Formats: sequence, structure tokens, C-alpha cells
Amino acid sequence: MLDLFTYDFMHRSLLAAAMVGGLCSVIGVFVVLRGLAFVGAGTSHAAFAGVALGYLIGWPPLFLAIVFGLATVWITGWVEERGGMKLDVSIGILYTTTMALAILFIGLMKNYNPEVYGYLFGSVLSVTDNELLVISGLTILVLGLILLCSKELYFIAFDQEMAEASGVPARLMFFLLLTLVALTVVVSMKTVGAILVFAMILIPASTAYQLTHSLKTLTLYSMAIGVTTAVGGVIISAVCDLPSGPAIVLLATVLFFCAVFLSPKRMNRSSPTHSH
Amino acid sequence: MLIDRQEPIIRFEHASFGFPGVMALQDISLTIHDGEFVGVIGPNGSGKTTLCRAILGLMAPIEGHLHIFDCACEELRCHHRAKIGYLPQKGVVDRNFPVTVLETVMMGRYGSLGLFRHPNAKDRKIVTDALAHVSMDGHQDTALGHLSGGQQQRVFIARALAQQPKVLLLDELTTGLDITTQHNVIELVQQLHEELKLTVLLITHDINMIRSRVDRLVLLKTKLYAAAPPADVLKPNILREVYGKDLVITKKDLVIVEDYHHHH
Repeated sequence: MLDLFTYDFMHRSLLAAAMVGGLCSVIGVFVVLRGLAFVGAGTSHAAFAGVALGYLIGWPPLFLAIVFGLATVWITGWVEERGGMKLDVSIGILYTTTMALAILFIGLMKNYNPEVYGYLFGSVLSVTDNELLVISGLTILVLGLILLCSKELYFIAFDQEMAEASGVPARLMFFLLLTLVALTVVVSMKTVGAILVFAMILIPASTAYQLTHSLKTLTLYSMAIGVTTAVGGVIISAVCDLPSGPAIVLLATVLFFCAVFLSPKRMNRSSPTHSH
Repeated sequence: MLIDRQEPIIRFEHASFGFPGVMALQDISLTIHDGEFVGVIGPNGSGKTTLCRAILGLMAPIEGHLHIFDCACEELRCHHRAKIGYLPQKGVVDRNFPVTVLETVMMGRYGSLGLFRHPNAKDRKIVTDALAHVSMDGHQDTALGHLSGGQQQRVFIARALAQQPKVLLLDELTTGLDITTQHNVIELVQQLHEELKLTVLLITHDINMIRSRVDRLVLLKTKLYAAAPPADVLKPNILREVYGKDLVITKKDLVIVEDYHHHH
């Protein structure tokens, strides 16, 4: 069994999983705290429509995935800002529209293309050197931007209006966050697939949420959980010959329920401080 | 109280806010001076929160002008706004957000720090001092959600103080607090007003809690009905016009609804 870890494809897979796991779980903290969970789901389906169009017209699928993903989050953010529609309604409309487009593009393809389905269901074990390079570049870019703007991103997640009133460029930061969500989704599609990438964003951050009351600790826990479950899922997938995406997500889900069950927050909830 | 000699800090000049046809505030002319303690009162939907949002730069006047620290603040995000420490209404912020007291108060420093810069020792000192001012210095690592309502308000006041403001803008400070806590929190605000020479704008429904503490009361109902010392504002004819109900001032200087007064 240990022979598996001597293969190049396994090294690439584990590296890709670690990066994607870390990236998704860090951006997930802001997604969960700012209440953008549904945006993650909608964006992944929009990005998948971009991939399908790329294969249909012979354009680079990752490039079109980024275009579709960014267009979706920016339209969503713009609609929310104008206050014309609730975020979940606008993303719901774009989510289903882009999914319809994806099905249409696949239907227009003359031949069955397994690579398209690789982006839908994820196939980390088949990540190529070039894809690893793209994942590395985007991971460094997204994590770098999060690190640089972490205090503003935390503040808008806490209260965007208060942040704006305090002199923080809150609108700019909100659109930066949406952009980073879209990039993260695109980076992660090949690894866990368009359907399950949402879980990679949501579950580690929600698990960490059960364990701490501090923003910094929450981010560190989420990252540790994201990397561990992604790498652990790939190993389980390789050893047990299971699809990688579901293995990662189900492992993360098991950890989530353990955290809910053992959450110190649940135990403390019955004993708040009472004075003044 | 030497209002005449003090600098004007916030100046509304025939300012209207809202949308054409749906005015939240109409033709407001009001000057708040340095060092004043002002209570803003009025019925629900009278434009109190709009006044607050306008001062914070979250909305621009559709007519007239608003000057903050003698700046016309054409840009909503004018740097002068950073001198206004703000405490939002309870319920606006998720008080169970996973954040410690220290992290919450440190957010008050973010606006003046600017992008890409992280807090240093000086910022931590300002935060520690702000917590000491509200007697919460022993709770730095406590989760915000573990505190009582009164303690949370103190933390939010400390967050506003960490901004090193000249003005404290407090929206519904005492809503949802028990009567003793309301009293303690208002006492704290008065103490900060006196010790730190802060200008305070306190938006509230609780006329009785603030009437003896403020220099002036601003009475709103879309228009500005009065901006004067409490004794000049709390008159039955003015209150009836704004609240649409007969309010009486009792012998103990309490403002109550007349029906209630007759039954007791």
C-alpha cells in the first residue's frame, strides 16, 4: 500500500489537495461569517458552465470558468448593494441559469467528453503538472490577498455598515471577497468537483466555528481541518479505490458532526456571564 | 454650558434625506457644537436613524448641505467621519459572532490604520485604554457572545473609543437592557462625555432616562420640531404635535402618556 506514495501522480494529488483544502477553508471562514454560503454553491455551478463552454468552443476551460464565476459573484454583489433583491434570490436565479447553460453546452457537444465530468465530480488523482501550477499560482494569490486584507475582511464579515462608517473601504472589500470566492471555486473544481467544492468551503469553517470564539483561532482551526480532511480524503480515496471528491467531503462531514457533539460552545452556552 | 463659544462640529443646512417623494428627513437645519451632550428623540419612523446614517456618511443629502468638522464632506467617505465613534442599534450586529472582546475593540483602529497595515503596540495600548475607560479591561479574551447585554454595550462603546473620536454617536444605546443596566450605561456615557470632553449624540426613545443629563434635545418627525434645552422641548403642545398623543409632564418631571396618568 505504501508503494502508492512513491508515484508522481500521488505526490501531485496530495499537494493539490493540501492547497485546495487550505484555500477553501480559509475563504470559507469569511463566507460563513458574512452569510455568503449560497454564493459559494451558485458560483461553482456558474464556473462549471464556463468549463463546459470552454470544451464546446475550444477555449481554455479554466479561463472561462473564471469569467463565469466572476460575472456571477459581481452581478450578485451589485444586486445586493442596490438593495433591489435579496442575495439568496439573485444567486438562486443565476445558479439555475448557469446550470441550464452548462447542460445546454454539454448537450451541444457532439461527443461524450469525460474531462468535463472530471470538473463536475472532481478527480484529484488525475491532476497534471500544468494544473498544479495553476492551482499553486491562484492559491498564493488568493491567500496573499486574504492575508493583506484580513482585518478589513473580518470587519465587513462582522458588520459591513459599521466598517464603512469607521472609514474602512467596505464596498471594495466586499467585492474583493466575492472575487476571492470565485477564484477559490475555480481553483478547487478539478480537485473536488463543481458539486462538492461548496462543501469544502463551508464544512471546515463551520467545524471550526463550533470550537472557538476567536476570529484568528477560527481561521487557523479551519485551515488545519481543511488541509487534514483534503489530504486524508485523497489517501482514503487512493487506498480504498473510492472517488476522491466524496471521500474528502464525507471525511470533513464526519469531523463536523464530531465538533458539533464535542463543541465547548454548546457546553458554555448555558452559563453566560451576568453582571452589569 | 457655553455653546455659543464652542466650535460647530456637525452642521445641517436645509438638508433633506431619502428619495424624491419619500423623504426620511426634510429641510433639517441643525448645528451640534463641540462638547455638547445632545439627545435625539422622536417617534418610530421619525428619521432618527437616517440622521445617524447621514452623519456617518452612509447617505448623502438630496437637498441642502451637511458639514462635518467644517468640511462639506462631498465624498461620503471623507476622512473627517473617522472622528465619529458609532454604536449601532442592538440587533444590527450578531452578538454571538465568534470574536473576542479584544478583537472587537481592535476593529475601532482599522479605519485609521488603512489598508495592508496591521495593528502595532500603539494600537494595542489605545485598545487597552479604551477597555479600561468602560471597566472591561479584565475581559480582553472573553467571547463577545458570553457577555451580558450591558457588558456588550460597554465593549461597543470601547470599540468606538478606540477610534479616538471627537463625537460619540449612540443609536438606541439602552434598548433591551434592564433598568439598572440602562442607568449604568447612561452614567458611563455621561462620564466619558465629561472626562474625555466628547461630543455625544444619543438617539433614544427613553426621554425620561436622558432628560436630566443632556444639554439639548433634538425632536424629530421627518422635520426638525425642536433643538433646545429639555425644559423648552418637553412641553405638552410640542409633544402632542409630534407623538400624536397627549403626553404630560408629572410633578417628578417624568413624561408619560396622559391616559396612564389619569388611571394612576
